[in-house]
Amino acid sequence: MDQNIGVYMCSGCGIGEAIDFDALSSVAEEIGVSRIVSHECLCGSEGAKIVKDDVASGSVNCVVLCACSGRVKSEVFAFDPMQTITERVNLREHVAWCQPAGNEDTQAMAEDYVRMGIIRVQKSTLPTPYQEALEKTLLVVGGGAAGMQAALDAAKAGYSVKLVEKEAELGGQMAKWHKCLPLHPPYHDIEEIQISSTIQDIENLQNIEVFKNSTIQKISGAPGMFDVVLNNGGGTHRVGSIVLAAGWTPYDASKLQHLGFEKFPDVVTNVKVEEMAKVGSLTCPSDGKVPSVVAFVQCAGSRDPEHLQYCSAVCCRVSLKQALYFKEQNEETKVVIFYKDMRTPEQAEEFYKKVQKEGVIFVKTDTSKISVSEGSEMKLSVEAMDELLGEPIQMEVDMLVLATGMQPAVLDDPILNLEYRQGPALPALKYGFPDSHFVCFPYETRRTGIYTAGCVRQPMTCTRSKSDGTGAALKAIQCVELTSQGKAVHPRAGDLSYPSLFIQRCTQCKRCTEECPFGMYNEDIKGTPLPHPTRCRRCAICMGSCPERIISFNNYSIDMIGSMIKSISVPEEYEEKPRIIGLICENDAFPAVDMVGLNKLQYPPWVRFIPLRCLGSINLVWIADALSKGVDGIVLFGCKFGDDYQCHFIQGSELADTRMTKIKETLDRLVLESDRIRLEQISIDDYYRIPQILEEFTSKLEELGPNPYKGF
Amino acid sequence: MGDEDQKILVVGGGISGITAAVEAAETGANVVIVERNPFLGGRVAQLNQYFPKLCPPTCGLEINFRRIKNNPKISFYTQAEVLSISGKPGAYSVSVRVNPRFVNDNCTACGKCAEVCETTVPNEINYGMDTVKAAYLPHQMAYPFKYVLASDIIGTDEAIKCSEACPYNAIDLDMKAETFDLEVGAIIWATGWDPYEAEKIGYLGFGRFPNVVTSVMFERLAAANGPTGGKILRPSDGKEAKTVAFVQCAGSRDENHLAYCSGVCCLASLKQATYIRERVPDSKAFIYYIDVRAMGKYEDFYTKVQQDENVSLVKSKIARVSEDKESGGLMVEGEDISAGSRVRQVVDIVVLAVGMRPGTAKIKPDMEMAYDDFGFVTGSGESGIIPAGCVKAPMEVAASLQDATAAALKAIQVAVRR
Amino acid sequence: METKIPFLEVSDAIVMSGAESLYWCMQCGLCTGSCPWRLVSGEASEQFNVRLVQRMGQLGLEGFESENCLFACTTCRTCVDRCPRGVDIISNVRGMRSMLAEVGTIPASLKPIVGSLHSQGNPWSGSREKRTEWTEGLDIPTFSADTEYFLFVCCTSCYDIRSRKIAKSVVKALRAAGISFGIIGNEESCCGESIRKVGDEALFQKLAESNINLYNGKGVKKIIVTSPHCLYTFKNEYPELGGKWEVYHYTEVLADAMKSGKIKPSGDSIGRVALHDPCYLGRHNDIYDQPRELIESLPGSELCELSRNRKNSLCCGGGGGRVWMETKAGERFAELRIAEALDAGANILATACPYCITMLEDSCNVMGKSDQLKVMDLSELVAEKL
Repeated sequence: MDQNIGVYMCSGCGIGEAIDFDALSSVAEEIGVSRIVSHECLCGSEGAKIVKDDVASGSVNCVVLCACSGRVKSEVFAFDPMQTITERVNLREHVAWCQPAGNEDTQAMAEDYVRMGIIRVQKSTLPTPYQEALEKTLLVVGGGAAGMQAALDAAKAGYSVKLVEKEAELGGQMAKWHKCLPLHPPYHDIEEIQISSTIQDIENLQNIEVFKNSTIQKISGAPGMFDVVLNNGGGTHRVGSIVLAAGWTPYDASKLQHLGFEKFPDVVTNVKVEEMAKVGSLTCPSDGKVPSVVAFVQCAGSRDPEHLQYCSAVCCRVSLKQALYFKEQNEETKVVIFYKDMRTPEQAEEFYKKVQKEGVIFVKTDTSKISVSEGSEMKLSVEAMDELLGEPIQMEVDMLVLATGMQPAVLDDPILNLEYRQGPALPALKYGFPDSHFVCFPYETRRTGIYTAGCVRQPMTCTRSKSDGTGAALKAIQCVELTSQGKAVHPRAGDLSYPSLFIQRCTQCKRCTEECPFGMYNEDIKGTPLPHPTRCRRCAICMGSCPERIISFNNYSIDMIGSMIKSISVPEEYEEKPRIIGLICENDAFPAVDMVGLNKLQYPPWVRFIPLRCLGSINLVWIADALSKGVDGIVLFGCKFGDDYQCHFIQGSELADTRMTKIKETLDRLVLESDRIRLEQISIDDYYRIPQILEEFTSKLEELGPNPYKGF
Repeated sequence: MGDEDQKILVVGGGISGITAAVEAAETGANVVIVERNPFLGGRVAQLNQYFPKLCPPTCGLEINFRRIKNNPKISFYTQAEVLSISGKPGAYSVSVRVNPRFVNDNCTACGKCAEVCETTVPNEINYGMDTVKAAYLPHQMAYPFKYVLASDIIGTDEAIKCSEACPYNAIDLDMKAETFDLEVGAIIWATGWDPYEAEKIGYLGFGRFPNVVTSVMFERLAAANGPTGGKILRPSDGKEAKTVAFVQCAGSRDENHLAYCSGVCCLASLKQATYIRERVPDSKAFIYYIDVRAMGKYEDFYTKVQQDENVSLVKSKIARVSEDKESGGLMVEGEDISAGSRVRQVVDIVVLAVGMRPGTAKIKPDMEMAYDDFGFVTGSGESGIIPAGCVKAPMEVAASLQDATAAALKAIQVAVRR
Repeated sequence: METKIPFLEVSDAIVMSGAESLYWCMQCGLCTGSCPWRLVSGEASEQFNVRLVQRMGQLGLEGFESENCLFACTTCRTCVDRCPRGVDIISNVRGMRSMLAEVGTIPASLKPIVGSLHSQGNPWSGSREKRTEWTEGLDIPTFSADTEYFLFVCCTSCYDIRSRKIAKSVVKALRAAGISFGIIGNEESCCGESIRKVGDEALFQKLAESNINLYNGKGVKKIIVTSPHCLYTFKNEYPELGGKWEVYHYTEVLADAMKSGKIKPSGDSIGRVALHDPCYLGRHNDIYDQPRELIESLPGSELCELSRNRKNSLCCGGGGGRVWMETKAGERFAELRIAEALDAGANILATACPYCITMLEDSCNVMGKSDQLKVMDLSELVAEKL
């Protein structure tokens, strides 16, 4: 397209008082922009009309709005991204509201921002969305509570589903149980498991195809175009997205010798109790008699540094349920539950209360320290410190039930067998659960188009698993819908750009294939990256990683940011006006800088902020560009990294940090102080720290003196 | 999904409602949100940090607001409420009233009105712990990013003064409440939760002693944009707090108050213990609990906080809070069960970990949904009105959002033809 | 530490003895924390932990039997009102006590009480014939079919010299109000409320049976009682044994009479009156307003609330059989109450229960405050101004 740029400058909200608009216009003129408008209230109906008319008439197809932050008034300046390139230059929050009015340094800042905005547009092209992945069928892996619900709800919304179950029948763990937890008010009674009707529904729905006794040999491709090969001649199936609901396995009780498992026949697991209850015979394995005293050991292998560190979330409720099995079998049976903390959240507290009323005895103790030994007359002797009594107690019981925890089914088996360069499994977060790391985005995984549901994601009840299946199905549907339109999924939902590679110049260094947090690239045998655009989340971390600078987007490229940096005016050394480039994450740091303006806090006028999709997209050449131009310092604001990382692209800011460490070594060798580069982790609400950080950095730069490359 | 599809109405613009809305809209549905407050975000906009990552809620809100701004399929009304619902799944008519903001879309949030405004009103976002100008931005990250005129000043000279100060004709003092009908195919009910009224637990001293605060208030005391600028100060005298007691199950797991467990309070207090520990090096936090309920991987967070030797976790249900009038200090008393002794701890601030009541405990839509004795909606929207988040059960944010995502699909099944 | 061996058959027996909600307890400790014994020092304060007692009960363990442990409970009901699980803690205590009573291992100080109740029908070792001694010269009518109310006077006010003044004042006030009432006389037996709390269920049943037969035989329909303890058991415990009557505490009747103008107190200004809500009138029977109405109707009265009032009232220390046991001076709840009344600036501490009068007056004297503060029954205050 031929660019017709219009630059629209707003003098409202104090911008006009802070900045000389005539001088600002001449900046745009110098770059060759012919349509330059200034208005005292661009977002008002009159001002907006000017812009809209220009766009409507076709005289302008690139709009540069020099006004407030792009975070506000977006509804006024919403132009079709397929027709119009829109750029927001933030003269309000980032200049007028945080710098003294009418000052030459303030003016220089505004001029730099306008220049950079125009260049950003000049280096952009209209998007050509990738619309080759059109398959909308869903694959659901696992036919338990979560998987069945995912399949049902997707089918009810009109989507075709392929449901793969490794066992001969649908139902998963739930099918092996006697009864389930109370689901209905007043939450007192355990209920029959309603599974056959669900299976019936699935079998009745035409758009669900069930593959029983089936496992996955491999999955290749990408969202909208996954090819799933089933084992045992199950054929190849094309699907658009995947719900992984493979469920859980019980913790291996043979590791619980200290609680007498395998030592004494009457020490059994909660899984065994379900099996026994289902056949209607809760008897001691040793002699087949109905037990008169039964004890439960909670957290058997959970919340235990020697075993599973986490809480399996459901075992307290399960033991309450099983206590009632014994009471139902024989009212006179004594049941004792040894627990660390009774965890019956939400309305399940009512169930706890109900079981107390049945006369079940609860003993608070560190259950990992319970000792189990042989008692009299074939009984088991259980000794524990009763924290409620403050003294140890010893009881003889006929049967001891270990409330063992849950482990994700993907712990030892990738199940999906993905043909991804980064491995066959969905990356796990912790303890093998491929859960989301994000509080706000519970379905985030590191493999686009693959969503997890149920206990494979985290320990949860059956009810939660079902709801989780529904949620994952929504995400899977959303993925195929967006993908078929060539749009990105979360967090850059709707983004029409995707990376293109100038592959002839690739040196097969594999950095992109290794560093992409989402496994977008496969490799051919030589190590050349094979991009799968629909796996891409558009973070541009690959762009930052590439030493050959061959990766770019239509509206985000190395050349673009490099040119913006180069367009900044760098005063001569004698002027004693340093320049600092701020490369900042657009998700958190950019709004934080807006907040600085909103709070009318001030910071040194030497900084020029450039928002990036992610700090991980920083290419080292930008640093070199900046330093060689005479820029004195570079500050990077990225999201928090480490275990509790806040980076929306998993590792972006951490990768940037690693790259900076490397470049600092290079700088030291060039006798250019590495202190000229600083990376700060900034949360969105850390705005009040920003002026202080910049002040400190400025004094550090003063100490170091001007960049010796200035003027070269 | 096409134009013939019906809209999905999301009632409640808190984090559950927003999530349901954006997830449905990004799947292709048309969505309209009705929110009672003048801003979207609900309760989480009042939180300082989320457990277990200790990350700011504004981060996720910012992303979600961007998703709303970028998506023409989502519209919303703030200061709005549902008056009545009629019709059936696939064809509901919902009467909605939008109360006047007295500020129109011309507002640029330049702040000129607030500069001239002298009247102050209790700051709701800070649970009334401070005041705000009667022409105000609800909070710094508020979306929509527009000022509000408190109805208190309407009809006064003050309002006229504000109006005259606005350079953009954004203040409309004649704005009236508007009532209209929305025709929608499905409804997601996500009206969230309210903190339990702590003054009902007389022996814990809330309302009698200024230094007894609720957990939701404590979030504001820790927030950089809260009434104390993020410093944890005693409300009575502004002295920096060095010792804080957290009283768990303040109203929850109690037949005299809320019989159910509010699910999130243990983790919230563990989190809040880090607030004080992080701010004041020689501070101490005491958490008094019945059972510590840190489910699943949240156990890690519990373990982490427990490792701080200045955080004491004591198995005790606090029976008495009293005040030393002279020092303003508070004494918490109870039985220390594990130690076999008595709790008699003097602290600067007592935080009551108040339970959650469903929004539907107060306002129940008049049709189709069934409730339990506590006011929680039972079922998962077998009809066309689909509950999401804390109206179903007390949930932490991640669970609410999981639930809201599921609700989006249930709504799509009803409203969108394919 | 010695390892304890739970004896679950014992806990079953405790449950059968009335501790029906024993297992409902989740051991949160709110009861122990709320217990008035936490407000004082001494043996009972150290030994009596009602949460732990119930824990021992749940496990059928021994070790709680002493006068200063299980028998320290005054059944004041503070813990029951607050219990988050709705545990009837008083019944649990009663159930555990009755296990001991059955085998005769109740505290020694209670043995003469039991003896007296068995032989004389009252706990005060007074002979049955002297039950009506207090009526001498008052010409109190005997209850008959024409009488509206049967006036049941608490054993304490029948035998205790100080307490007799309450009985006499009640009579004076009822007469002034023109209420038709009568007593039955020496055949009356103790209501049995406190002995049941002590755990002697059999004795209670015996007393109740005797009273029920007597009253029913006389055609009693409505009863006025002088003590909230009698009120409690007549209203809540007798009906299932066959005693179904309308039962009123005298404060209810007098407050009504005052409202309808049947009695009009007059005379000198009475000054600042503090009210001690008796546990059995307040928490057990939910009567809070009528005593206040009575005070406010007295000439020149100024009601000053104690810091712990109404539902949060502090026990005098006399319930649950404690009135018959010795609590060392310096360790009594009543002393805190006297101090509270003085803090409130009262010159009269009024209440409406013979046990409370006994406990409060005793402490007031021991503390040497009787010149500053008079402990009076509401009936006495009213009667004085008629």
